[in-house]
Amino acid sequence: MTLSVFLQSLISGILIGGVYALIGIGLTIIFGVMRVINFAHGDIMMVGMYLTFYLFTLFHVDPFVSIVITIPLMFLFGAFLQKVFINRIIGTLPQNQILLTIGLGLIISNSAMLAFTSDYKILTTSYSSGSFKLGEISISQPLTASFIITVVITAILYWFLMKTDTGQAIRATAQDREAAQLMGINVSRMSMLAFGIGAAMAGTAGALISPTYYIFPQVGSAFTLKAFVITVLGGMGSIVGATLGGIIIGIVESVGAVAISSDWKDVLVFAIFLLVLLVKPSGLLGRSRM
Amino acid sequence: MMKRVIGMTLAVMLALPGMSMAAKVKIGFINTITGAEAPIGENLTNGVALAVEDLKKKGIDVDLVKEDDTGKPEKSLSAFEKLATRDNVAGVVGPYTSACANAVASRADQYKVPLLVPAAAKEEITQKGYKYVFRLNAPADVYSSVLMDAVLTLGKPKTIAYVYANTDFGISTVKTAKEYAKKIGLKEVADEKYQKGAPDFRSTLTKIKALNPDLVFMVSYEVDAITLMRQSKEIGLTPKAFLGAGAGFTTDQFLKQKDVSNLVFSSTQWTEDVNWPGAKDFYKRYKAKYHKEPTYHAACAYEAMIIMAETAAKNGGNRDKTRAGLKSGSWNGIMGQVKFVDYGKFNNQNNHEMLVQQIQNGQYETVYPTKYKTRAPIYPFRWK
Amino acid sequence: MNDISKKSAEGGFSTVGAVAALLVLAALYAFPSFVESPYALHMMILLFLSTIMGESWNIIGGYTGQYSVGHAAYFGAGAYGTLILLQKWEIAPWKGVWAGIAAALVLSLVIGSICFRLRGPYFVLASIAVAEIVRLTVLNTPSVTNGAEGILLSDLPPFKIGETVITDFVSKVPFYYIGLTLALLTILATWGVQNSKLGYFFQAIREDQDAAHSLGINLSLYKNIALALSAMMTSLAGAFYAIYIKFIDPTTVLPLDLSVQIVLIAIIGGIGTIFGPVIGSLVLVPLSEALRSNLIAQGLINSGLVKEDSGLGVFLKEHLAHAHVLIYGILVVVVILFMPDGVIGFVRKMSARKR
Repeated sequence: MTLSVFLQSLISGILIGGVYALIGIGLTIIFGVMRVINFAHGDIMMVGMYLTFYLFTLFHVDPFVSIVITIPLMFLFGAFLQKVFINRIIGTLPQNQILLTIGLGLIISNSAMLAFTSDYKILTTSYSSGSFKLGEISISQPLTASFIITVVITAILYWFLMKTDTGQAIRATAQDREAAQLMGINVSRMSMLAFGIGAAMAGTAGALISPTYYIFPQVGSAFTLKAFVITVLGGMGSIVGATLGGIIIGIVESVGAVAISSDWKDVLVFAIFLLVLLVKPSGLLGRSRM
Repeated sequence: MMKRVIGMTLAVMLALPGMSMAAKVKIGFINTITGAEAPIGENLTNGVALAVEDLKKKGIDVDLVKEDDTGKPEKSLSAFEKLATRDNVAGVVGPYTSACANAVASRADQYKVPLLVPAAAKEEITQKGYKYVFRLNAPADVYSSVLMDAVLTLGKPKTIAYVYANTDFGISTVKTAKEYAKKIGLKEVADEKYQKGAPDFRSTLTKIKALNPDLVFMVSYEVDAITLMRQSKEIGLTPKAFLGAGAGFTTDQFLKQKDVSNLVFSSTQWTEDVNWPGAKDFYKRYKAKYHKEPTYHAACAYEAMIIMAETAAKNGGNRDKTRAGLKSGSWNGIMGQVKFVDYGKFNNQNNHEMLVQQIQNGQYETVYPTKYKTRAPIYPFRWK
Repeated sequence: MNDISKKSAEGGFSTVGAVAALLVLAALYAFPSFVESPYALHMMILLFLSTIMGESWNIIGGYTGQYSVGHAAYFGAGAYGTLILLQKWEIAPWKGVWAGIAAALVLSLVIGSICFRLRGPYFVLASIAVAEIVRLTVLNTPSVTNGAEGILLSDLPPFKIGETVITDFVSKVPFYYIGLTLALLTILATWGVQNSKLGYFFQAIREDQDAAHSLGINLSLYKNIALALSAMMTSLAGAFYAIYIKFIDPTTVLPLDLSVQIVLIAIIGGIGTIFGPVIGSLVLVPLSEALRSNLIAQGLINSGLVKEDSGLGVFLKEHLAHAHVLIYGILVVVVILFMPDGVIGFVRKMSARKR
């Protein structure tokens, strides 16, 4: 492997990792606040992708601009899901939570199929295959843009959770639901906020990946799995951890494909995942919950 | 009632001479309507729907029993068993995926139900000596052999790199391609499998670029083809030719990616510009009805349904006679000459001639075999 | 103490119960003599298969409270173990299945030693990850597993005792009896677990791990035993699937979908009960078949309620087939929201209310 091949893989890994991070952040917030593993996460992301696609084809809104519409809409969608469905099973048996989100995922993806048919939708922008050249290395324009947006969103989210009252209430709920309730925090409102934010993040990730990927109703499941790996790797409930986890997975996939082989790179991802679980079960940046 | 009688009389009068009455025939159709394989399954659904319309015009009233196998062999088997024993169909068209067709084929002989596989590529399906299993499309090996044949007419490439999906189709296609490459003295410089649906191939493509191959042979059944080509352009991978095997390179969506799809060669079961009877008309009507270009799956499914229904109608829905009819018959429709013959390891296999097309100026142009050529191939490749 | 009260609560030993059970059994064994329809037999076989999977998962998920969402790995181990031996060395499946079981056992011990360090949701996610590693490994070692091309079985060797051919596996009947017997065995095994010290330990772990630990129950030992049992039973289902369908590949016997399917069977029926998975199968198998094959639309049309040519008839015929997974998803959500303890729990609650 020459240096330029290595650098090329490293850079694309970091950039694609940014999108992964966003998916992971959404999942980690939902889990942190509600202790619910959201099996419908990828399907929520898929909704964001369709939203982006139709905003682009019908109204010619650029995907990177359209996130200002996607984020609030997806937030409402997430809050709706939480209020109507998820809220009813908080604190019940964990198997019911798993099952409910699986069921919701089936409903979301198959409704999408009825609405949009199962055809692949491709969003083509003028920059879909555009790149900057840095010596021998080429850097994807859309991925760079999405990486920058990811960084900005993550920073805003971090600030929101750390510095605002609502953010602190959400964090308090995540730390100890009952104590938060006793302190007068409206826990169910915080859960709704958290699920809304989680869905908005997943939807944004969908929007950001749309110009370079493709869209179909079942597209979500692969990303759900990826989100699981990222969140556990980074530590469940930790936003910085999920960011780190996403970028690590991006790099491992990308560099692994050239250093080992493209068919074993996913095994490598899962192996690292297990290794982290064994050595530090709480994840890279999570608090121990053993 | 009266209206119906008049309508029927009219239909009979309008029908082709010699066709004295509307024949009703029950045909099963197993397809993947939901699940991960559904995007391609959709094309087959549309093709069959169009076939049923056309059959009605010809005086054959098809009672179509549609079954969804969700892409899972055991469900496909449920569907087949239901069709064979409960619905008592005269014959079955489908299933779409190779895994399902494989499982179902083994039962066709058992129930003595003629099965016509329209588009599944796995070679074994028609290599087991089943009497009741027929296949319309060319199996996986032809996808690569025809491409290699086409390239040989162009120039003298020396090296080849393979990038393909780690799927049944990807592996068996590349296997044949490698045998061929060896025969013609092409040196293999890279062999990269990828997981279907991956969003990032940049590192793999960079590695290949460093090896500077003359030919890049890609197998993608899905839209991965677009991701691969977009990122090839981004990286600046420029071989003398991109060869695409598999449906991903033959779709309407791929064609529309003008920046990245121009000059890519691909092998296909069908194009609309060949002089096969009805092909152009099918293309036009399909496009008018479904607002997109028909893929070869749609054409295969259409022709399979026509053949099955006509044969079954001619034989009064009798399964054994229908089987004999399929075995002895020959058709000349939108898929060209169709005949189910035994050759090499195959039984009841239509020795379908695949085509090579190249995208030129936003159009699929047939460039090989020479007799179907609509444009001269452009070689070597350059980015638009 | 606890054991005894459980037994009487189950009421498994009342004479009425025993007679009813025997009658059902007799009917099940006589079924193929009266019903020849291969479609009906096929449905019954799928029902048995589903029961085996559900009961197996129930041991680790239902009784021990460890929600593994990676059971496809064991299913695949059984399927691949059996078919590889048959394909490469022509070892008959009733011998080869032991290799499948052994593979599942080893796999479960490895997985257990990794994943049982984790609890709750962490365990769920780790189990998914390990199953994915198994799937990818099978996919990427074609020299052993035939990779993505899968293994296609052309013929099953006839089952002989001495020189007498017992069955040549041409019809579905032998598969029916194998499925039925395996299903009964797994139900029996579950009964055995529930009524033993082992079951007591399992349930103690499920109720409160820390309390169980302080009672001196070796958590990791008993969790591993439960997983091993569950895995071996699941591998039987995999082996049975493989010889029945005669084709396996990583996408059919090792996907995450399958793991989820296995969990659904037990949860819908009611977890931690002997007959929960049976009920779950009785609900899910016919339901998904009816939805898949559009029997509902067909039924409405045949009954004359909806005219076939009418707008509604056409709509139902065309679109209900596309919507069956959607309906399935809605049902799953409804069950969870209104029957959180599964069908068995719901029925119990209703009957308690009546009393």
